[in-house]
Amino acid sequence: MKRVIIIGGGPAGMQTALCLVRRGIEPVIVECENELGGKLRNWHVLFPTFTPASDVLTELRRKVRENRIGVHLSTSVETFTDRQATLSDGRVLTCDAVVVATGFTLFDARIKEEYGYGIYDKVITSADLERLFNEGRVVQAAGEHPRRIAFLHCVGSRDEKVCQQHCSRVCCVTGVKQAIEMRRLFPEADVFNFYMDIRMFGPGYEELYREAQQRYGIHFVRGRISEAAPTHDNRLQIKAEDTLTGRPLRMSVDLLVLLVGMRANDQNAAWAADNGLNQAPSGFLQPKDLFLGNVRSGVEGIFYAGTVTAPKTIGETVNEATAAADAVADYLTTKA
Amino acid sequence: MNFFVPFCIPFIVGAVAMFITLAWKWGLWLYRLPRADKKRIVCGLPTRATLDAAGEVVCESLLHRRIFRVNPLLGYMHMSLAFGWFLLIAVGWAETIAYVGFRWVPLQGHVFFRYFATGLPHKPVFAFIMDLLLLFVLSGVALAWGKRFFSKRMGMRRTTRHVLGDRIALSALWFIFPARLIAESTTCALYEGGGFLTGTIGAWMGEHISTMTLLTLESVAWWFYSSCLGIFFVALPFSRYMHIFTEIPLIFLRRYRLRSDEKESSYDRFQVDACSRCGICIDPCQLQSVLGVDNVQSVYFLRDRRYGMLRAEVADNCLLCGRCAQRCPVQIDLNTLRINSRDRLHNIPAERRYDYLKGVDRSSGTGKVGYFAGCMTLLTPRTLVAMERIFHAAGEEVWWADRDGSVCCGRPLKLAGETDAACKMREYNTELFRKHGITTLVTSCPICLKVFREDYALDGIEVLHHSQYIFRLIQSGRLAIERGAGQFTYHDPCELGRGSGIYDEPRAVIEAIGLLLEPVDTRENALCCGSSVANTAITDGQQLQIARSVTAELEATGAGTIVTACPLCKKALGRGAVHAEVRDLSEIVADAVSK
Amino acid sequence: MAAIHFGYTISKPRAIDLDRNNLRKSDEILREMPELQTCIGCGSCTAVCTAGNLTEFNFRKVHTLVRRGEYQGAYEEMNKCMLCGKCRLVCPRGINTRGVVLLIKRKLGDF
Repeated sequence: MKRVIIIGGGPAGMQTALCLVRRGIEPVIVECENELGGKLRNWHVLFPTFTPASDVLTELRRKVRENRIGVHLSTSVETFTDRQATLSDGRVLTCDAVVVATGFTLFDARIKEEYGYGIYDKVITSADLERLFNEGRVVQAAGEHPRRIAFLHCVGSRDEKVCQQHCSRVCCVTGVKQAIEMRRLFPEADVFNFYMDIRMFGPGYEELYREAQQRYGIHFVRGRISEAAPTHDNRLQIKAEDTLTGRPLRMSVDLLVLLVGMRANDQNAAWAADNGLNQAPSGFLQPKDLFLGNVRSGVEGIFYAGTVTAPKTIGETVNEATAAADAVADYLTTKA
Repeated sequence: MNFFVPFCIPFIVGAVAMFITLAWKWGLWLYRLPRADKKRIVCGLPTRATLDAAGEVVCESLLHRRIFRVNPLLGYMHMSLAFGWFLLIAVGWAETIAYVGFRWVPLQGHVFFRYFATGLPHKPVFAFIMDLLLLFVLSGVALAWGKRFFSKRMGMRRTTRHVLGDRIALSALWFIFPARLIAESTTCALYEGGGFLTGTIGAWMGEHISTMTLLTLESVAWWFYSSCLGIFFVALPFSRYMHIFTEIPLIFLRRYRLRSDEKESSYDRFQVDACSRCGICIDPCQLQSVLGVDNVQSVYFLRDRRYGMLRAEVADNCLLCGRCAQRCPVQIDLNTLRINSRDRLHNIPAERRYDYLKGVDRSSGTGKVGYFAGCMTLLTPRTLVAMERIFHAAGEEVWWADRDGSVCCGRPLKLAGETDAACKMREYNTELFRKHGITTLVTSCPICLKVFREDYALDGIEVLHHSQYIFRLIQSGRLAIERGAGQFTYHDPCELGRGSGIYDEPRAVIEAIGLLLEPVDTRENALCCGSSVANTAITDGQQLQIARSVTAELEATGAGTIVTACPLCKKALGRGAVHAEVRDLSEIVADAVSK
Repeated sequence: MAAIHFGYTISKPRAIDLDRNNLRKSDEILREMPELQTCIGCGSCTAVCTAGNLTEFNFRKVHTLVRRGEYQGAYEEMNKCMLCGKCRLVCPRGINTRGVVLLIKRKLGDF
């Protein structure tokens, strides 16, 4: 039986493994964390339907378990070629192909020091907020009766100052989704979303945006927050330009949520250099082409699935994983 | 004895033209000096400064001590040419006296004495010394040739590209001494005499060349030698060799405390013309080494300014980091000259520009100590928070000048050449500081610090950088620090280090907290982060390139934390850092304060 | 010229008329500083602006108007800038904002 090593056990890795099993190929998942699920583990609900992330995760994990797919947890891949992978515990696994499904790294919002993340406890990230929702501790962070909550879009995306020029795609709709959630939780609070452009590209997204405006009365201010500073009454003062009126704007808020972007893994560079893979200027791995070869690396026997190539939604990631398994099966058939 | 033959004419014409031009230039520059500067000269003349200056002239203009320090081989080259030539003239003078006694001999008589002295009895000692000196100078010429063709082997990655006038003068200079060697040797061949060099070559020529040919050759060689001298002298005041003579008055004027300022003045001419275009300023320039920009360095800036062809693109494209000024063997005040050139290019009247500042006061708190964060520090709130903790821990009452935003210190305007506008900022802030009655002014921004210290009239207010202030707190026991296991490396901000001479306090503070690891280029040689407000020409991408090269060097120390003491440096290095964390000095202090 | 007053005056047209505006200066500016065209209008520059928080000065608006061929008053507006450089530090497009201020002043000094 042909064996395929899947690096990364997030939604992309799990779905690839499931599709490969169905085709009679033996997948082996190598996951550096101590459980499967990737970043989805910390997520609360998914846009635009508010589906609990755990629904998706539980289903995928259950199938992986039922299919008795080989999984190496708390193990990372040090180096690999299309025929083998060296693991962090020193073992060498041989294989017939490799699928890279290592995903992305969350942008570290502390780098944008002027927003005050890591300095003031009233500043959190979108990922923090999901975790707080999961843990039921949002009130603890925002206070019992927050009067104002602000969301800032594009933190660590479209920003040359932090060397992240690309758009992270999902933050716009995440911001709208989280704004609605906050408004549901704190009906008395005013919620402001500070944005540069609102990119509602997916099905139901634009509708969600409209609902946020109309039904939830969320305020959308076109302008990037430039600074956040504490006030005497332990709130935060934020500054921005309200670009639609062309005047500077300042306001006090009880919570500032930074919608952090997706950044390419630092690991990509070394792996690209080892295997002759291409890296996009954004640092993500560059697929062979964006049309018929978007899960192929351009190197024989190495395939991509999910956000290792670019920011994607969960739905897109899972679809791509299916396509990756298909491409792997094709490759193994023609090779045999 | 008659000391004139026709071949002397080129030399005489050249020498006379040179001395007239020199006298004219110097006279004009001195005449145009501001009254205050003239007074300084008159007051300085009868003091020790004159003696010190004379000493410095010997050390620098003749021996080139400072070039020796930067690059011994280059130093030897300059010394052999300058000091060697000087000795040739001086000993030549003595030789003439020894031969003909104390009587008036025209200039060409001294210079071409070997030609005229054929009828006189030989004095082998002088012949030997003069030949030795000629050999000394020739070794310098050989090195100069070598430098042109093998600059790397001379320890210089790049040498200066020259203008036409320079090329003429340079070619003439290169030929002067070989021409002299041949001319004197030919004369020796015909009339004997000469030392180990000219005598030996002369003897060889006498054996192998017929007398008729030698007679022709002698005439040609002396004509050539004289012409080289003449051409060199005529070209000298218009070429880089003007530095030979200009450095001398410059040294004196500097000793009399004349200085360049934000507006151009006649004194600048002495500085500009004293540049020998040695090119030592090119290698330390990061615009050159990192970005490959190779037409804006100080040597080119001074060249363009001197010939009146300075363009804004050249004047503006400089970080004013001072790495070149730090190495300049003539110690030209390069940054100030650059600033006053920018003033001439960009300054605009500012009577009404900042009328909106009237009545603005966004300060808060009260205290004898004022804290001026600086515009950039408002974008690095970690520094602000850390300073607040430090003030609190030391029990200091603080007046916060600009926590909620305020008016710029004015240095960025000055660096951009808008000096009149900068003046308005100074007036505003000075009034603000006075109004709140502070006695100490602490700032976290070295850019602000420099302008407060140098351009503000803040008598009665002590201006401190936060590194100095923290150092004092620790020393006086007002701030207790716990030493940890952290390993730090320190990046000297340009305006703090080279700009204000503050190197030790930040280091002392770091050493009180953990282990300090020095990068390769440190203290006076520290690199610039690349984001200097002084440069309005390079792009964001270029700034990033410089930042990356600097952080690579800092990270090479192996330290986990890069410490700096400037918000701008912090932002820049933060972009370039790969592994290390970039923090302001105040942050690591605040973390180490004993609970 | 003595004009007959009909009870109303012809004021400056409201619209930015790109058919009539002369974009020569604007093109020159963009040629020297092409990155200015990459502005996404996020307003970071104006939000941090030291001068803009004390007086009516909006860097983003002025340079956008200049790019549309509306030069009137641009020089005077840019003269309110203190060149402190905060805007350059925050611009997500890495625009050399201080360079832009100086360039617009140089090009539009006679408007």
